[in-house]
Amino acid sequence: MAVTLELSNIAKRYSKKVWGVKKMDLQVKNKEFIVLLGPSGCGKTTTMRMVAGLEEVTRGTILLDGKDITDKAPRDRGISMVFQNYAIWPHMTVFDNIAFSLKLQKIPKKEIRLRVEDTAQMVKIQELLERLPGQLSGGQQQRVALARALVVKPKLFLMDEPLSNLDAKLRVIMRTELKAIHLKTGATSIFVTHDQSEAMSMADRIVIMKDGEIVQIGTPDDVYFRSASVFVAGFIGTPPANFFNVHCHIDGKDITLTNENFNLSISRERFENLADYEGKNIILGIRPEDIEIVEESEALFSNEIMVIEPQGSHQVVALNVSDNIVKMIVPAETKLQYNDTLFLNFKMNRLHLFDSDTELRIN
Amino acid sequence: MTMKNPQLLLSMETRRKIMPYLLIAPVIIYYFIFWLFPVINSVIGSFKDIEDQWTLSNYIYIFKDPVFYQSVINTGILVVFSVTVEFLLAFGLALLINIKFKGSSVFLFLAMIPMALPAVAVGAIWTSGFATRGWLNSFLMTFGFIDDAGKFLFLAGGKYASMLLIIIVDAWQVIPFVMIILLAGLQGIGNDMKEAGYIFGGSRFQVLRKIIIPMLKPTITTAMILRIISAIQIWLIIVMIFGFNRIPVLLEQVVLNVDELGSEFFLRIGMALSVIVALIVSLVAILYLKVSGSFEKKDGDSE
Ligand SMILES: Nc1ncnc2c1ncn2[C@@H]1O[C@H](COP(=O)(O)OP(=O)(O)O)[C@@H](O)[C@H]1O
Ligand SMILES: [Mg+2]
Repeated sequence: MAVTLELSNIAKRYSKKVWGVKKMDLQVKNKEFIVLLGPSGCGKTTTMRMVAGLEEVTRGTILLDGKDITDKAPRDRGISMVFQNYAIWPHMTVFDNIAFSLKLQKIPKKEIRLRVEDTAQMVKIQELLERLPGQLSGGQQQRVALARALVVKPKLFLMDEPLSNLDAKLRVIMRTELKAIHLKTGATSIFVTHDQSEAMSMADRIVIMKDGEIVQIGTPDDVYFRSASVFVAGFIGTPPANFFNVHCHIDGKDITLTNENFNLSISRERFENLADYEGKNIILGIRPEDIEIVEESEALFSNEIMVIEPQGSHQVVALNVSDNIVKMIVPAETKLQYNDTLFLNFKMNRLHLFDSDTELRIN
Repeated sequence: MTMKNPQLLLSMETRRKIMPYLLIAPVIIYYFIFWLFPVINSVIGSFKDIEDQWTLSNYIYIFKDPVFYQSVINTGILVVFSVTVEFLLAFGLALLINIKFKGSSVFLFLAMIPMALPAVAVGAIWTSGFATRGWLNSFLMTFGFIDDAGKFLFLAGGKYASMLLIIIVDAWQVIPFVMIILLAGLQGIGNDMKEAGYIFGGSRFQVLRKIIIPMLKPTITTAMILRIISAIQIWLIIVMIFGFNRIPVLLEQVVLNVDELGSEFFLRIGMALSVIVALIVSLVAILYLKVSGSFEKKDGDSE
């Protein structure tokens, strides 16, 4: 597929000590929906603003449809954007807000009306076109901002935490609608969020950032099942992965991962990359749904239930394993009680192993 | 049910309604004593002659006096030109400072100095500046723009040249004030409002015209109305630089009649004149608000 946006080695330095983005390489394919995900302050907004032309780059180049737009003014880039606080203009009606860019392009009035009405229909605000933004709810303002960005049919569609000011229920509804709109329009999009479940549910590919750098790029399944680092495994998932420090002992065909709670034997065939770790400590990660309740005879270890958090569709059970809180997901039907002792094992094909020093994935 | 506590005689509802009036009562009393009373007094005084008989003669005297018409015209010219010049320059400066370039806060500080000076000091500075051997001429000579023979006779100019000087001095003093108001308004406009303008195809000028200025309109209206009102009331600077009656303006004539000419007759003329000035000010203010659309009801608009 054709590459729409290409960021090569871009960086943004705000001042001597403050880097907004340290190094970013990214290719966004045509019609792709990319989500930039990371904790607050990791450089998502900065990246977005450099692509939009609202912030100068300190280093690197930005190509859009093969053309260098690094030094172009925002309006000459062919992009549009949804701002976190909507940034719709309070003195213009909804119609005028949406039509702003079309009017500047001197498009005939009739066509403007058609396009604005079409777009308004798509985001369900066709009844609000004559209102002023002050008369709209937050969710409706959000839709206006969306319509204004969609109506220009941009080469690239940028959204900076567009849902974060909505209440929880509306946020989930808008997620679905946004994705549906994306499927319908096929607009190449970059969506910024710090909410991992939002990222997982919307993205074709997720770009996970930390401290101004990319730590992993991949599909939702990639980042979930093959997390590139302890940071990613601990950031993605509700609840995120659990970690254990284990000692790696290799004896012929067998590998044993040991700590004070368990001795886990795994076959060498499946973990070739562990060869160099004989006698060393590594980090074992396991996701909450990959810890299973088993018969006592098959148990890797046992533990008492510390807290049960019912979620309706399932329950989250928290254990205290040597002062390390471990969370696991148990089906709703399983009858459990506070202080019950559980016999537990890990799903062997779902182990995540990380180097203790670099915290990068081994297997 | 017997009620011992008198407070309970008033329902919660009544007390809640009375409360605001109690709270603003001191202000209203103050207003009556120090504002309304003198105003009523001079309005009444303007309709009486020196024998304390009701009369319109004070007004008739004024309307027959050519100096009155002269001062209306002069005031009008000064208001139109000084307010326009001041607004344009102040807006430009406010936009500039709002960019927050390096040293913009120092610049802001420097620009505010004239505002801190009392009108008397401003008058003194410029009277000494405009004198033939004043600092303006010696400044120009030091930098070789003029020689000794070419000194400007600032104060000897004709009526329009003199008014130009007044406009310059007034602008010099007032621009910082207008600029601060506009700057405060500009800083209230979120950056993303402008950025959205740039993203959606606006040039700098288009964003200024279609987004910043309309959003700044309430602030502009406030600044303009304050400026227009005080421009109608300009007098001290003129008197300090040119003395009385060289460039007659409305308020200067009031002061002249009340303070300088000093007889009971002229005091009453002065009262009548101030009533006229007050009417003109209110009229202009209402007219401006009307034209600028501030009376239009914005339904349900909450920003
Ligand atoms: N205008 C700015 N001036 C200086 N530092 C900034 C500016 N904007 C952002 N930063 C810094 O750059 C880093 C990345 O910020 P940002 O891109 O806003 O993060 P995110 O959007 O991921 O929360 C942060 O450390 C932030 O403090
Ligand atoms: Mg951000």
